[in-house]
Amino acid sequence: MSGEQRLAAPMGLLIERDQPVSFSFEGRHYRGYKGDTIASALIGNGQWLMSRSFKYHRPRSALTMAGQDANTLVQLASDPNVLADRTPIAEALRVEGQNYAGTLENDRDAILGKFGRFMPVGFYYRAFYKPKGIWDWWEKIIRKKAGLGTVDLTATAGYHDKEFLHHDVVVVGSGPAGLQAALTAADGGASVLLVEENTLLGGSLTYSRFESTGVHADAVRSELVSQVEQHANIRVMTEAVCNAWFTDNWLPVIKGNRLYKVRAKECIIASGSYEQHVVFRNNDLPGVMMCSAADRLMKLYAVSPGKRAVILTGNDEGYLTALNLADQGTEVAAVIDMRAQPQSQSLADAVSQRGIRILHNSTVYEALPTAGNLHVRGVDVRTISGQGKVAPQSEIIDCDLLCMSAGFMPAYQLLCQAGAQLSYDDDKARFELTRLPQHLLIAGSVNGVYSLDAVMNDGKRAALNALQSLGLGQAQTLPEVHCEQQVNFNWPIFKHPQSKEFVDFDEDLQIKDIVNATRVGYRDVQLVKRFSTVGMGPSQGRHSALPTARLVANATDRTVSETGVTTARPPFVAEKLAVIAGRSFDPYRQSAMHHRHVALGAKMIPAGSWQRPAFYGAQERRLECIAAEADAVRNNVAVIDVSTLGGIELRGPDAAEMMNRIYTFGFLKQPVGRTRYAVLTNEQGVVVDDGVSCRFADDCFYVTATTTGVDGVYRNMTRWNAMWRLNVDITNVTSAFAAVNLAGPNSRKVLEKLTELDVSAAGFPYLACREGEIKTPLGNIPARLLRVGFVGELGYEIHVPSRYGEALWDIIMEAGAEFGIRPFGVETQRLLRLEKGHIIVSQDTDGMSHPGELSLDWAINRKKPFYVGCRSVDIVMAAEQTRKLVGFTLPAALMKSGSKPEEGHLVLRGADISGNITSCEYSPALDAIIGLAYVGTDQAENGSQFRVRVSGGREVEATVTALPFYDPDNQRQEM
Amino acid sequence: MTSMTPAAAAARSTLYPKLSDAEFAPCADGSIAAGFGADDSAQATRCGLMDLTPLTRTGFRGAQAAAHLAASGFPLAEQPNQASVTGGGELVLRLSQREFWVLGSLQDMGERITGLVAAACPDSGCYPLFCQDSHGWFTLTGDAGSAVMAKLCAVDMRDEFFPPLSIAQTSVARINAIVVKHSINGVPAFSLLFDSGYVSYMWDVLLDAMQEFGGAAVGCSALR
Repeated sequence: MSGEQRLAAPMGLLIERDQPVSFSFEGRHYRGYKGDTIASALIGNGQWLMSRSFKYHRPRSALTMAGQDANTLVQLASDPNVLADRTPIAEALRVEGQNYAGTLENDRDAILGKFGRFMPVGFYYRAFYKPKGIWDWWEKIIRKKAGLGTVDLTATAGYHDKEFLHHDVVVVGSGPAGLQAALTAADGGASVLLVEENTLLGGSLTYSRFESTGVHADAVRSELVSQVEQHANIRVMTEAVCNAWFTDNWLPVIKGNRLYKVRAKECIIASGSYEQHVVFRNNDLPGVMMCSAADRLMKLYAVSPGKRAVILTGNDEGYLTALNLADQGTEVAAVIDMRAQPQSQSLADAVSQRGIRILHNSTVYEALPTAGNLHVRGVDVRTISGQGKVAPQSEIIDCDLLCMSAGFMPAYQLLCQAGAQLSYDDDKARFELTRLPQHLLIAGSVNGVYSLDAVMNDGKRAALNALQSLGLGQAQTLPEVHCEQQVNFNWPIFKHPQSKEFVDFDEDLQIKDIVNATRVGYRDVQLVKRFSTVGMGPSQGRHSALPTARLVANATDRTVSETGVTTARPPFVAEKLAVIAGRSFDPYRQSAMHHRHVALGAKMIPAGSWQRPAFYGAQERRLECIAAEADAVRNNVAVIDVSTLGGIELRGPDAAEMMNRIYTFGFLKQPVGRTRYAVLTNEQGVVVDDGVSCRFADDCFYVTATTTGVDGVYRNMTRWNAMWRLNVDITNVTSAFAAVNLAGPNSRKVLEKLTELDVSAAGFPYLACREGEIKTPLGNIPARLLRVGFVGELGYEIHVPSRYGEALWDIIMEAGAEFGIRPFGVETQRLLRLEKGHIIVSQDTDGMSHPGELSLDWAINRKKPFYVGCRSVDIVMAAEQTRKLVGFTLPAALMKSGSKPEEGHLVLRGADISGNITSCEYSPALDAIIGLAYVGTDQAENGSQFRVRVSGGREVEATVTALPFYDPDNQRQEM
Repeated sequence: MTSMTPAAAAARSTLYPKLSDAEFAPCADGSIAAGFGADDSAQATRCGLMDLTPLTRTGFRGAQAAAHLAASGFPLAEQPNQASVTGGGELVLRLSQREFWVLGSLQDMGERITGLVAAACPDSGCYPLFCQDSHGWFTLTGDAGSAVMAKLCAVDMRDEFFPPLSIAQTSVARINAIVVKHSINGVPAFSLLFDSGYVSYMWDVLLDAMQEFGGAAVGCSALR
């Protein structure tokens, strides 16, 4: 059948006949129409075979035409496992089959189907492991065979993003229940989001005829859709999938490349139900499909699914499909009704009037294949003689299409994710969803309601309940809607001695596979799932859950209710990681001087959320650059951007008291104009931060904190003061100030050019702080200046409002040019501070480090009554000490052999681990490897040696060395 | 408006190197991106993004902060997370019972509140804040503002739920931000105030989110 031979309008709701589209499948060219899916266009061209099954490589074709099964998985250029019955064709689209050896038509691996008895359920748990070591041989083969499709490793994810949406009511599903619910809610004044996974609104109204004349559904759909599309309170989102339900109606809705994070006050799930297949031999042949799939092919795509059809049904839906087929020119050879009689006699009469034969109490026992199992050619019909049993007498009916409908299973996934309980009435073969959380409602066939009027009433009822919860409308409610239409046949499973009666198409699981799983002891349906993999394929049990529950119940002598179904977890349909990731927000901070660093060739590295220069120069010259920068600091003058340093301002009458309670030192008597080292411990006595406290007035402290710790320090200060109620204002001013550390013997000479302040050794001594101005040709800049010694040389931190940061950098570089000033980076600073033995909190400390271990006893004021953590500090320092942070040295020669210890390497005592390296660098100034390490207290004496296990498992001997390594009398920083 | 180069002033927005297409004009002791082209006004009405970081602003916190501002003639919203507008177009944000920020107006390029910045605070209970330097200030203009914000922030900022002069102290693109809805000469606007270290990040994030709405950078003169 070529693309041009389509059914006449009004069939083909989705296609645009004046817009032909060419595409290829397996190298052959086909034509379809805009609006066609790959599957509809292929079937429209007579190409039924689309894929090979996972295990036995059986030929497969469209089963649902709704993307609910794995039979139509195909390969696009860079996209494997694409559902052909959901994916539209496009001009020049290249489509290939998957999972075959040779060609799709002649798959050499189809021979596996003949070895099915050697591959029983769970066989891979028991095979491949004996004799010992054989797995290594099997693994290569299995890995080659496992998995479907080919991933394009060069593919890029493209642009994906996210958006938040807020609505009073979200309706999931736009069938008659969803449409009516959306309209009722919107009429009541609610803001409504209607989510529909298909292109067209209407759900089953788009393809099912609901009654014998086949005109009512179209009229209802047309009217409802028109009202919905024109309603100002309704936002319609088609081709969008609500992929999960999370607490408080948090709904991830995926449309295209965007993930909508939807918040709904009320959520109405009108997700409909899945038509179920009948389990009989060869029920997977191409040409065997759900009744709704045949309806969809005709109504949506104007494709005739066959010339001679047989209908196998356990409900009245099959009769409607028979009428549809007959109306579109397909000869319907018979309606095989598994029931003793139809529920609607008028429907049966309408079918009979078309000359269609009806066989009651009968079933298809086996579908008969053409050569190679490529299509159905007929059916073996038997009378049902008992549950799952058939009479021996057989009637063969020729056909090229078998439509089946065993019943309907509610699309319960989102509801069960919300905690709803799915129960089953074994007598009436009906499902019920109960125990829904508040503000989550259901309507339509997912609620067990099937007749069109009842479905619409149910949608209205749900919407009125939602409005009542929202306090909108007239607070009118409707009673529960009951529907007597019975859609499920209670045992549509017919075992065949030659098997191949598929329960789960995704995993090629047959009746015996499920039953055998129970026989080896897996009685619980969840265990059956894991042992057999039933329901674990792409369709996630949409069709296998119910027959599995029935088979397990029967095999274990329980009811389906007692057996239950497997758990439904998010996501509802497969989703791409790119959608979940969305556009990645990766916040970073840059200082006011950032662009100057980049211009100077800085190698930027992250420091918390900040970007900082590690050093200036090419990566391959790293050590050389760091050595040159360190030399400039030690012997000349250099400048580093320290804007990222945390800053907290405390102002008010109780500022000193606050400082005194927060930090370990005494601050009540800290003189104005002086700085003081500030150590912060937590309630457990662990050192968690440190900084420099600057007192600029009796009631004003400016205290620095570590780059990554400042937010926590600020948070803790405000938390404590929420309890203490001190009269102090606490402000995190980190980003308010840009700052540099101007360091080196010539730093004073540079600074003298920039300020009117007395910066002489006497006028601005070590540990003093001042407020003043930095002179620039563009105007003076207000500044705070601190005499610091972090890198062990004469040095000044200069803090200015951040808007002036770049101008400060410029003027310092300009003023320092005559001295050969150069910038230095964080890596150089880390080396210089290590030479001085200064710790970096969080690098040289861990979650156990107390002041005693760090030799910070001097920074604790034991006379004051309280500071945060004081009691714990007293306790841990009074206890027997087990480790100590010490300085160590190693010969520089180890650099050449690659044996320099790295951070985290282990310190050994005999065979035991006694500590670890926290910092280690090569010091050009000392021509030695220096570092800090935790060692056992018995290893901490100066001059003693300890072993370090370095890379490659080698061990080196380090010597404990008194700190600081460089300028032990601190003369250089205090000059 | 006189044009100038940003580096000709001591005070600079960290963003200026990214705004190479802009014409800059003097603002306070620095410069501000005043225009990006002839279409600025129309662009701002559709979907525009202004860097107002250089525009003068100040803030006060403490028990006497409200009294200080009221005595200085600034109208105060009654509830936290509400803003008020002065006759001159300044926005007064009430961020808590005791914290207020005053954002300069484009009408006078922040001139009117320079006095407030310079004025002495009460002896106690009123502490000036550092928001001129601690925070960047971007203004998202145009009809697409709410839709753009929906891509970056979990708060529903549609008019019916977040009316003009509402404030949200929330997370925008994973960083803390103060978001104020207001209007500039009748054009809807969102002002975003956030840690000034993030200006480059936030600028790129906003322009990216604005792309589908045809958004672009605009100068502060676009809506004056």
